[in-house]
Amino acid sequence: MRAERLFRALGLVDAALVEEALAVRRQDWKRWAALAACLALVMGLGFGWLASGGFRGYGGMAPGADTGSSGGVMDGDAGIPDGGEDGVAFLSYAGPVLPLDTLENPAELTAERTVTWDFAPGAYPDGERRQWGAEVTDASILHNGTEEDITVTALYPFAGSFAELVLPAVTVNGEAVEPALCAGPYAGGFQSAAGPEGADTLNLAGLSSWREYRALLESGAYREQALGDDPALDSPVTVYEFSDFEAPHGEYQAATQAVSFSIDSERTTVFTYGFNGCEWDGGFRRYSYFVPDGMRRETERKLLVVWGEDIGEYTLQGYQDGGCDRGEEIDGVSCSVTRRETTLDAVLDLACRDFVERYGKDWVTEEGPVTFAMHRGAAAELLAQYGPLSDAPMDRYADGRLDDLIQEALRQERVLYLRFPVTVPAGGSAEVTCAFWKAPSYDFGGSGSGNEGLQGYDLVTKLGSSLAFTRQRATLVNLENVEIAGQNFGFEPDSGITSVELDLEREHYYLEIRPIEE
Amino acid sequence: MEDGQIIELYWNRDQRAIRETDGKYGKLLHGIAWNLLHSREDAEECVSDTYFRAWEAIPPARPGAFRTWLGRITRNLSLDRWKSRGAEKRGGGAELLLGELEDCLPAPGGGARSVEDGELAELLSAFLWGLSREGRAMFLRRYWYGESVAEVAAALGCGEGKVKSSLFRSRKALREYLEKEGIAV
Repeated sequence: MRAERLFRALGLVDAALVEEALAVRRQDWKRWAALAACLALVMGLGFGWLASGGFRGYGGMAPGADTGSSGGVMDGDAGIPDGGEDGVAFLSYAGPVLPLDTLENPAELTAERTVTWDFAPGAYPDGERRQWGAEVTDASILHNGTEEDITVTALYPFAGSFAELVLPAVTVNGEAVEPALCAGPYAGGFQSAAGPEGADTLNLAGLSSWREYRALLESGAYREQALGDDPALDSPVTVYEFSDFEAPHGEYQAATQAVSFSIDSERTTVFTYGFNGCEWDGGFRRYSYFVPDGMRRETERKLLVVWGEDIGEYTLQGYQDGGCDRGEEIDGVSCSVTRRETTLDAVLDLACRDFVERYGKDWVTEEGPVTFAMHRGAAAELLAQYGPLSDAPMDRYADGRLDDLIQEALRQERVLYLRFPVTVPAGGSAEVTCAFWKAPSYDFGGSGSGNEGLQGYDLVTKLGSSLAFTRQRATLVNLENVEIAGQNFGFEPDSGITSVELDLEREHYYLEIRPIEE
Repeated sequence: MEDGQIIELYWNRDQRAIRETDGKYGKLLHGIAWNLLHSREDAEECVSDTYFRAWEAIPPARPGAFRTWLGRITRNLSLDRWKSRGAEKRGGGAELLLGELEDCLPAPGGGARSVEDGELAELLSAFLWGLSREGRAMFLRRYWYGESVAEVAAALGCGEGKVKSSLFRSRKALREYLEKEGIAV
């Protein structure tokens, strides 16, 4: 019985998921209800701005796009129809293959590039003979026509996330090298949870076309940020840390501790870590957490972080559960509260370490490739760029819940860079190859788009690179199990044309294949 | 008592391990078994068998997420017991749950590959991580813990209609996900 097998397999899913399901309680809904009330006002005020073109196109875009600021860029004009000059606009876009670049950009170097897609079944990382994705080899031969050796810092960009990292294997002149990994900030933007007409920025909006990658990368600011230092979050904050928890757990399985106070929201911003819910009403704030009972895997580190004017007096109250409803107050819930002054950086560091220790060990390790410093840096960037204190705060992070920022930093799309030295000898050349498995762009099964089953691949010829390419080629191999459904390369496998010269003036090439059913 | 201390009791072959496990997790495990079987006697036996299995497995096992580990045993034992009933006597929550999970099954054939349970679970985890926090909480409360739609709605403070709608969308999305991954179940 297939449903029974599925039921048993569900029993084996990540323990963190199973534990989390019990931790999500109704107070989380309250949090969003409160936020929705705030948004109703924002939406009303925002109408005039919308009418004047404040948001372009579907789903809106992150503020900052017009000013060319890095990150969070959604190109509202990117809605190229299916089959247009950019090919199919897939629902899930994997990002283009990007060209090699160098940090120094010496004018004396020229480059020839060959990108190969290998469609051999079994290219999939698990070794199964599946026709899903392709092994991509992006090879660049750097030429040095001068009489001096030239050493450059090569940068190879690729789209990905920390949680689903497929690290390209790099060779220089056939020798494997171990590049450093640098991560850019969140590459996508934000859009309304209410659909195209909404004005809030509660939902993430991933990049959906190469044009959005162009908007992200062409100014160079994104790369600069990726290679630069993490933002300094050295603002002083006051931290209230809760510990020594007690509650009548035998009587109340979801015994909850709430802390209530009032603030002037113009002068005070509150962040939390380890809390499960919050409610706002004007200046009134109530934050709450399930009292740790040694059973839940949730963190026992509970931090209330105050930026700006301190909160002054607060009230602690125990409740039967996370609803924190009037009439459900209980006695016997207690904790110790310590107050200290530190910086936002120090708090983020503490919270990230706690998070990784508890949830993130599968992705973040001392050895890398994703190190603690990278993950923490990504969380800091998210906080600085879109958090409540940023110039462009997003509703998604308005409640100051650091847990959300830290978790999302693991899964959000970004452009990552491999950084390694290459010496090109005087009058000679050096070959750099970057090989990696590339997931296709695709439409979800049952989406009704008519493009289900298609796998999309694309490359850009010069976006993000200052290298002087004199020639670029694209090659396909192992096409036995696929048929080409759409392209602008000029491949003609039936006529034996599986390798083509690219026009360097054309920025973007796409290829759509369909696996041949056996 | 901390989970680590309870597990130490198992390692020391100290029968207080059972009492401590029952005191700490008995209610949850009874809930899971009841949700699947709707029979107090059967549920109690499944929970007792869970403790016996734990006693047999530890040592050498040293489960990391003890509560989830126990819950998995109870789930499987409860399903076994449900299956052992004659077809005409099955009923209970399991019948309803399995019926709903039929919605998630990809169409057979089409070159889909078979995978081991472990790999299937990894794919399911990846799928669930992709849902919203509330969406996956609803899905797992329903199909992992076996809670009724009303119980899920009460726990999350929303209407039953919202839960039903979310579960429907998640089941549909899971089927599409498994089809896209080319997985036969």
